[in-house]
Amino acid sequence: MKRIAMLCTAAALGVTLSAGALAQAKPERLVDQRQAGMNLIGWYFGPIGAMVQDKMPYDANVVKRNAGYLATLSMMPIEGFQASTKDVKSDAKPEVWSDHDTFKSRMKDMQDAIAKLNTVAQAGADKDAVKAAFGGAGKACKACHDDFRVKK
Amino acid sequence: MGTPDSSNQPHGAAQVSARVWDLPVRLFHWTLVALLAFQLFSGKTGGNWMQWHGYAGYTILALVLFRILWGFAGSTTARFSSFLAGPARAVEFLRRLVRREPVAHASHNPLGGWMVVVLLAALLVQAGTGLFANDDIATEGPLARHISKDLSDRLTTIHYWNLNFILALVAAHVAAVLFHWRVLKENLIGAMFTGDKLLPADLAREVAAARTASSWRALALVAVAAAAVYVIVKPVV
Repeated sequence: MKRIAMLCTAAALGVTLSAGALAQAKPERLVDQRQAGMNLIGWYFGPIGAMVQDKMPYDANVVKRNAGYLATLSMMPIEGFQASTKDVKSDAKPEVWSDHDTFKSRMKDMQDAIAKLNTVAQAGADKDAVKAAFGGAGKACKACHDDFRVKK
Repeated sequence: MGTPDSSNQPHGAAQVSARVWDLPVRLFHWTLVALLAFQLFSGKTGGNWMQWHGYAGYTILALVLFRILWGFAGSTTARFSSFLAGPARAVEFLRRLVRREPVAHASHNPLGGWMVVVLLAALLVQAGTGLFANDDIATEGPLARHISKDLSDRLTTIHYWNLNFILALVAAHVAAVLFHWRVLKENLIGAMFTGDKLLPADLAREVAAARTASSWRALALVAVAAAAVYVIVKPVV
């Protein structure tokens, strides 16, 4: 009981601290934050794609490691999409803020799809199952990019 | 070419069926239709479809290269020389269209001929940029690694916008054949299936006398086109 209470306090403190940090963060830093997150997601997602598409030898350990990283990384970028960054030049469309609920639900879809990929990868599932989960995650990325990211 | 492309025979004059499209042209046309539909679907859906988007793109590239070769070495009606007309004839044809005077053509009419060339060029641009494109998720064309990310992004932009151009061309093409069908009572769609068009007798005779290239030659040219594409896209080992 005591332990749970401590954990709750710690969690509450963590939320308060991070919220405080966000409130002060300069918009440019927030954009850096989310772009860094997206870049890392791309970095660890790409090789899984190359492996399931036979462009690279399949290595279940790398898939496991990358999927684990991705499960955490996928939670990060949303934090950088604060309203204060609206006017900073980036590839984010204004709809990110004008239709923030849809945006958030797309982000959630991506996080769920990545979580699924991670579950499959950690369970040591075969390549076909990883490929299916990878495809689902790729679709989730695209669904959000299509509506909320400037077509370059 | 000894084929006069048009006839001034009035509507309703005796019409004779003539083989105007050889089998390779028809197969090319409908395979392309199916593949373009697939590309639209796969490109918009993403995920694991992107792998097949790539393979279908290579196939389209090979088909277009084949069609260009066939435009020089195919049956008479398939050749560029029998359907590429100057602007004056295109304008004259358009004038007749507006007056709803049907003008029979064995091959493509002067406007349709330009549509073919522009469509083939647009498809080459689409397939060519696709080889260098990236989707910023997990897919890139087989040649993207040879160029900078910045250039790949710019070619991806062309790939994206050129799609709209192709869709506009397809819409114009479909609208035109529907116009021929409903207004001018010419069934060009059926001709692309059966290969046969109803033509005024004199024109039909000319077509019958014109040269038909063998399907074996087409197969050989398809092999040449496919080999060329393979050399371009083959994975590094």
